[in-house]
Amino acid sequence: MAHTAAIHTEKPSKWSGGSSPFKVEYGKLMMWFFLLSDSFTFGALLISYGTTRFATIGWPDPNVAFNKFPGISANAPLAFVSLMTFILIISSVTMVLAVQAGKEMNKKDVVRYLILTIIGGLIFLGCQAWEWTHLFHEGAWWGANPFANSNGTQSTQNFTNFFFTITGFHGFHVFSGVCINVIMLIMTLCNKFEQRGHYLMIEKAGLYWHFVDLVWVFVFTCFYLV
Amino acid sequence: MSNLEQLESGGHTHAHAFDSKKVKREIWRITLYLSILTVVELILGFIMMPWPEDSLKRHLVKGLVMALMLWKAFYIIGYFMHLRHEVRNMIMVISIPSILFVWFIAAFLGDGQSYKDLRARMDPYHVEHAQLPMEFPAEEGHEGHETPEVHKMEAPAATPAPAAAGTDTSKKAE
Amino acid sequence: MNNEAVLQAGAATLHVAGDHGEAHHHHKQSFITKYIFSQDHKTIGKQFLITGIIWALIGGFMSVLFRLQLGFPDTSFPWLSTVIGHWAKDGHITAEAYYSLTTIHGTVMIFFVLTGGLSGTFANFLIPLQIGARDMASPLMNMLSYWFFFTASVIMLSSFFVETGPFAGGWTAYPPLSALGDASPGSKTGMDLWLASLILFVVSQLLAGLNYISTVLNMRTKGMSMMRMPLSTWGVFLQAVLGVLSFPVLFAGFILLIFDRHFGTSFYLSDIYIQGVGALPHEGGNAILYQHLFWFLGHPEVYIVILPAMGIVSEVMSTNGRKPIFGYSAMVMSMFAIVVLAFLVWAHHMFVTGMNPFLGSIFVLLTLLIAVPSAIKVFNWLTTLWKGNLRFTPGMLFAIGFVSVFISGGLTGIYTGNSAIDIHIHDTYFIIAHFHLVMGVAAFFGMFCGVYHWFPKMYGRHMNNTLGYIHFWVTLVGAYLIFWPMHYEGLAGMPRRYYDYSSWESFKQFVELNRFISICVIITFAAQFLFLFNFFHSIFKGRKLTVKNPWKSNALEWTTPINVGHGNWPGEIPEVHRWPYDYSKDGHDFIPQTVPVGEEDNPLYTSAEFTGIKVEEEPAKAHKKAHA
Repeated sequence: MAHTAAIHTEKPSKWSGGSSPFKVEYGKLMMWFFLLSDSFTFGALLISYGTTRFATIGWPDPNVAFNKFPGISANAPLAFVSLMTFILIISSVTMVLAVQAGKEMNKKDVVRYLILTIIGGLIFLGCQAWEWTHLFHEGAWWGANPFANSNGTQSTQNFTNFFFTITGFHGFHVFSGVCINVIMLIMTLCNKFEQRGHYLMIEKAGLYWHFVDLVWVFVFTCFYLV
Repeated sequence: MSNLEQLESGGHTHAHAFDSKKVKREIWRITLYLSILTVVELILGFIMMPWPEDSLKRHLVKGLVMALMLWKAFYIIGYFMHLRHEVRNMIMVISIPSILFVWFIAAFLGDGQSYKDLRARMDPYHVEHAQLPMEFPAEEGHEGHETPEVHKMEAPAATPAPAAAGTDTSKKAE
Repeated sequence: MNNEAVLQAGAATLHVAGDHGEAHHHHKQSFITKYIFSQDHKTIGKQFLITGIIWALIGGFMSVLFRLQLGFPDTSFPWLSTVIGHWAKDGHITAEAYYSLTTIHGTVMIFFVLTGGLSGTFANFLIPLQIGARDMASPLMNMLSYWFFFTASVIMLSSFFVETGPFAGGWTAYPPLSALGDASPGSKTGMDLWLASLILFVVSQLLAGLNYISTVLNMRTKGMSMMRMPLSTWGVFLQAVLGVLSFPVLFAGFILLIFDRHFGTSFYLSDIYIQGVGALPHEGGNAILYQHLFWFLGHPEVYIVILPAMGIVSEVMSTNGRKPIFGYSAMVMSMFAIVVLAFLVWAHHMFVTGMNPFLGSIFVLLTLLIAVPSAIKVFNWLTTLWKGNLRFTPGMLFAIGFVSVFISGGLTGIYTGNSAIDIHIHDTYFIIAHFHLVMGVAAFFGMFCGVYHWFPKMYGRHMNNTLGYIHFWVTLVGAYLIFWPMHYEGLAGMPRRYYDYSSWESFKQFVELNRFISICVIITFAAQFLFLFNFFHSIFKGRKLTVKNPWKSNALEWTTPINVGHGNWPGEIPEVHRWPYDYSKDGHDFIPQTVPVGEEDNPLYTSAEFTGIKVEEEPAKAHKKAHA
């Protein structure tokens, strides 16, 4: 059979076995596939939000709902969330620097950048806690929406329902990312990676952290901007 | 074991991985791009703020913001998550499944829109009801909510208060 | 070997304590690490299989119970009250219990038996053996995946014993029945346990799926290119891809559902009025959203169930037909096409929800496209059988039976995929007949086929063939007698999920038929005990394997010793030089994958020792001695 003959031809390629076709170790591959699958979780939540918004007559204006900045009583739409966005971007940068320092086997830099990343994550979580508290005192919570539609008509609860669920789920990811980074920091300080001879774990933690940042790009746009 | 060594360098040639200055320059360059894109998004957000909802120009700007969002996502995935520097196979394996989102989004949002349109046609009362102005302070089902749960609010992510809005819901939640 | 380097490096990265790497050196293991918290993929596969068998028994017994109600609505069975207590008053199953039974039957069969039991078993057991790896990429995650599955099972089982009973709103758990605790007795604690169980199940599937994918992509032995993998590996690999991309969507849907149940939200609840509760204060929600999210998983789920079965059947059919599989690349490509299409067609379950008809017509088009790869596969199976030198082992019979029920059930899929016809037959017994044949019975046949075929590899013993033949014929005839008449009932408009049809004049004509179906169900269910007896008896008392390669198969798993320990190959992992389907080629009955091209006639590679057909003496004892 011509077909079988084709299969028999020995042609060494990346896929012919014995090594990874992607030149990555399995842990990183697994992390990538996990993130792909997690992006479907977030995707499903955000798409549900979009679907509900498309299915509803009228929607509150996010610039009215999210218009406060701590310490400022004036109307300041988009200000606070911009701050949060920049914090997350900066913490992503420090993380990528930590990963790079790991590749160079530079323990001191790894520790320094990891600490900066953890601080960034904690500040972000603090910002979110402040925002949630503030919204709660305005009467917003799961099942309660004090904000009228942008044209002043009766709005649905789903505005706040989705906001708290999705930012909460994202915040949970940030929280677990911070936990992972703390574990990485402890392992680095205990010279675990020096003993192993590589900092591959930091790279995987970095992937997770960047994913959290990536999701925030979408959450930020979908909830605060449009 | 040469394979292992190769893996340790993250799948790159050593020359590339250890050209520290070049890599760091790239990181800061991408940071700059991301910041610029975010600032542009914010400027667009401020520009469209006074525009009426459902106006065409607002929709166009929203579309533009979405495009910028995807552009930012590209930078984060490509450079921070390093996908652009992986081998081609890897890029394909990660990016091709993401194409499923196109139909995922189109069908869901399309059906959401259709739900609204069909309901507006079949149930005119629903449309009428949606034209009523919102009452302040919110009275139907929203009150009785602020006061009792405030103390539970301190740790919002851990134990969300059972947001019992009115008697009917609390009965339901049992 | 590179592979080992990768595995060792991986193991070291994963385990902080670093104690895993030693698992490959045969050191003494306690009973607990060997049989319970085992990290050996073969043991984990067997654990999945046995848990799946237990669940199949429970799920099957449930179907017997509700078929009793459907077949004999007027007869009282006092023993029922003994078995299920107050769920059967005066020997009649109560309506609540009936709905719980159908719901849990569906959930258990789909998720725990055909996903956990079928793909969990064969993915774990076959992937490392067939691609030539020592174990999964991460044995620890593999073990966790089983124990998450086990916990999910225990929670689901515990929901049978709560006062208000298990969930009773259908396996799809549509709101408002699933979102409102007051909607039905089963919607209270039963539903919470159902959700908890399925969320753990999703976690288990993700852990497992990530592992299967990375193992297949990264850890193939030298020469084992993707297009040289046996189709059974392709099947479980692609089902893992489906699972990893679709289960998260179900997970997201469940998160929203939990908020609807307990935190006063209304994602899925609109302003409806419920008798006894009054008008709900909810606004803006939309139950169709849940249906979309559910079926975005739900449709890929049926392929998660059927792809491993397809792969197993292809492998068994080629081995026992002593012929190369017909159109190997077409088989792989059509499986790929099924994977892609699986994500594009979910809303064909929702034609009657009031979905946009235009959107519906796109879904019809995409749905009908699935017929193309499915038909390609069926033709390839038939042409593989054509003029083959068939060996009718029980595994082979089930493989052929699979093709039969897959065609019978698949043809009705073309009807149900059309929205115009589906609006008439939606939610009738026609649908029940369709999906039970094409996915329930077919996947079960794939599972039986796999168990009969790989039992010698699993336990080093043979199953009894005579019992296998009886089991096959009773099951095949029984399955057709149960589900074929349901097509007629469905076309006559008989709706599914009804407790009692006796008050409808139009369904009086089916009283006898329903009784007939119920009797067939009981007989078919009883026949499964033959299999159970055969399975468990053979583990301990079956005829011992005397050769490594009893089926004269080409695939790599038969090059391992009988009753092999953790690590799969005692020496080096063999190198692969050809695809696994070189049967009846160039005067050779079979040429194992490890024979280099051009060396087919080399006595070294045709020796009985190399091909694994040399009779070994007391293999089990020799093995035990070696490992003591």
